[in-house]
Amino acid sequence: MGRMKKLLDQSLRPLVIYAFTVLVISIPVYFLIIDVIWENELDKHHYAIREKLEKRLTHLSLPDTAVDNMIAVLDKIQPGFSFNETTTPRPDSLYTVIRFDSFMNDREQFRCLTTDIRVNHKLYRVLVETNMEEVDETILAIGGVTVFFIMLLLAGFIYLNRKTALRIWQPFYDTLAGLRTFRLESGKAVPLPVSDVTEFTDLNASLDTLMQGSLASYRQQKEFTENASHELQTPLAIVKSRLDMLLQSQSLDAGQMRIVEQVYQAINRVSRINKNLLLLARIEHAQFEEKEQIALDETLAGVAEQFADRFENNALHYTESIEPFRVEANPVLTEILVTNLLVNAVRYTPTGGEVLVHLAGGVLTVSNTGAEALLAKNLFRRFAQASDEHAGSGLGLAIAREICDRYGWQIGYDFAQGMHRFSVRF
Amino acid sequence: MKILIIEDEPGLAESIGAYLTAQDYLCEYAATWAQAREKVELYRYDCILLDLMLPGGDGMDILETLKQQGQQGQQDGVIIISAKGDYETKIRGLHAGADDYLAKPFHLPELAARIYSVIRRRSFANHNQVVQSELKVDLLSKMVTVNGQVVVLTKKELDLLLFFIGNKNRVISKSALAEHLSGDIADMFDNHDFVYAHVKNLKKKLSEAGYGNYLKTIYGTGYKWEG
Repeated sequence: MGRMKKLLDQSLRPLVIYAFTVLVISIPVYFLIIDVIWENELDKHHYAIREKLEKRLTHLSLPDTAVDNMIAVLDKIQPGFSFNETTTPRPDSLYTVIRFDSFMNDREQFRCLTTDIRVNHKLYRVLVETNMEEVDETILAIGGVTVFFIMLLLAGFIYLNRKTALRIWQPFYDTLAGLRTFRLESGKAVPLPVSDVTEFTDLNASLDTLMQGSLASYRQQKEFTENASHELQTPLAIVKSRLDMLLQSQSLDAGQMRIVEQVYQAINRVSRINKNLLLLARIEHAQFEEKEQIALDETLAGVAEQFADRFENNALHYTESIEPFRVEANPVLTEILVTNLLVNAVRYTPTGGEVLVHLAGGVLTVSNTGAEALLAKNLFRRFAQASDEHAGSGLGLAIAREICDRYGWQIGYDFAQGMHRFSVRF
Repeated sequence: MKILIIEDEPGLAESIGAYLTAQDYLCEYAATWAQAREKVELYRYDCILLDLMLPGGDGMDILETLKQQGQQGQQDGVIIISAKGDYETKIRGLHAGADDYLAKPFHLPELAARIYSVIRRRSFANHNQVVQSELKVDLLSKMVTVNGQVVVLTKKELDLLLFFIGNKNRVISKSALAEHLSGDIADMFDNHDFVYAHVKNLKKKLSEAGYGNYLKTIYGTGYKWEG
């Protein structure tokens, strides 16, 4: 399934990537725009200076020598200007140059205008230059500012995402939390939070329908098993009582008596299966809720005593080593669990075999003599016979497992040294 | 002895009635809740067999009515016979005043033995003795004597003896005896041979004490107590 991603992070990631890309692209764009504005502005400024210079010098109406002197002075002292006499007019030129500046004592970038001015019919070639910010410094500044804003954006995104998205999705998380607590066995649908958002209202309504549907079919199934078992009890009772009556008939011979006895056996088996089915249904449907502290050793002793006749009759050697141990569970279920394990052991132990019950350190093991390992896969399944014998109801171990599952006990089976061993870890 | 059979299933009511009538009980029937209610209010019975699921109502209500009557005087004995075999219903029934609880399907001899026991308990609280000629069973001290001579029986043997006496002259199947003797785990097994051993021992002890040889084996699969 891979790593799970949270919905909120999913929506945040593309936003962050997009914002980052836009801001990175903005760096050269900012630079180009700033550069163009700079140069434009400087060029306009240079032309204005040129116009003013030409007009003012002409306006003074000085003699040629005075003009020459003034220009020489300007050339010497006015920063950013240099004048040369020239004879042939040349077109203006605008350019950017980077050179070492002795005054600033550093490499500097300059915007230059080379143009001609005419004063008293004399042509001068003028170079006007202005120091401007260098490319790398500009980019660095823009980059720095951009990075700062990226950070600001990211922090904002994460904060806002956490805050607003969490609030927006809160009903969803509430629904999820509600659904987690839903148990079919409880027989009740969980109440889902009310939301004023259409999607969440729809979601909750659909989930509610789903829960109600599941509960209804669950209830039906439960009632079916219970009702079916109950319905069977009455005809079984009739058959049994009719047999008891038949037995009173004076005309029965030995053969007929034997048949009646065989019918009794079959009827007993049907009622056993029926009883166990009903029991299984009731365990599954979370009846037997009440719990109490049970002395397991006492339960075991009580149950084992009921089996005394069986041990004797089948000539089984019964050995027990039981340490006091307490569990918290339903007393009826605990007794059923112990009984079923013992019934299983007694039923499948050959005459003269051994049955061992051992309880120590919270582990109960019931072992009995056997010929070969059983199919562990089928052992705890309903009606799945794990051996060729068909004496049981096919439900005893399934019930045992169901009881263990309810309390989180571990039931297991293994076969070693000619002994089947069922263990329950409490 | 008057018995009221409150049971909506005619087949079962009929079998029970036939079995008990042969035991010299006088049986009356109620197949619905309303009938049962009427009979219970009008007449007195030594024992009432009460099915809980009745057309028209819950058998527990009948039990409630009986309890109220009981506060004014002698209360009828009640044995619940129900398809609901779960412990909760059982406990609830016994708390509501029932003397016993028998889950369906049951053997008629078992029912007869329980009725016998309920009636005994109620009518002879102080001097509770079962007597058949030379055989005496004191139910309080659990003492059995034959011709005044004490016969020491195990708990199960005594249990068997009372079961037989409660089903006089009836043929009892091994299956019914097994169910009686091993209770809840009886129907877990098909083999009921262990019954032989107990019956054999009981017979031997009583014979040695010289009882009238009332216990008969019928074709090796059933038993009958004559008397």
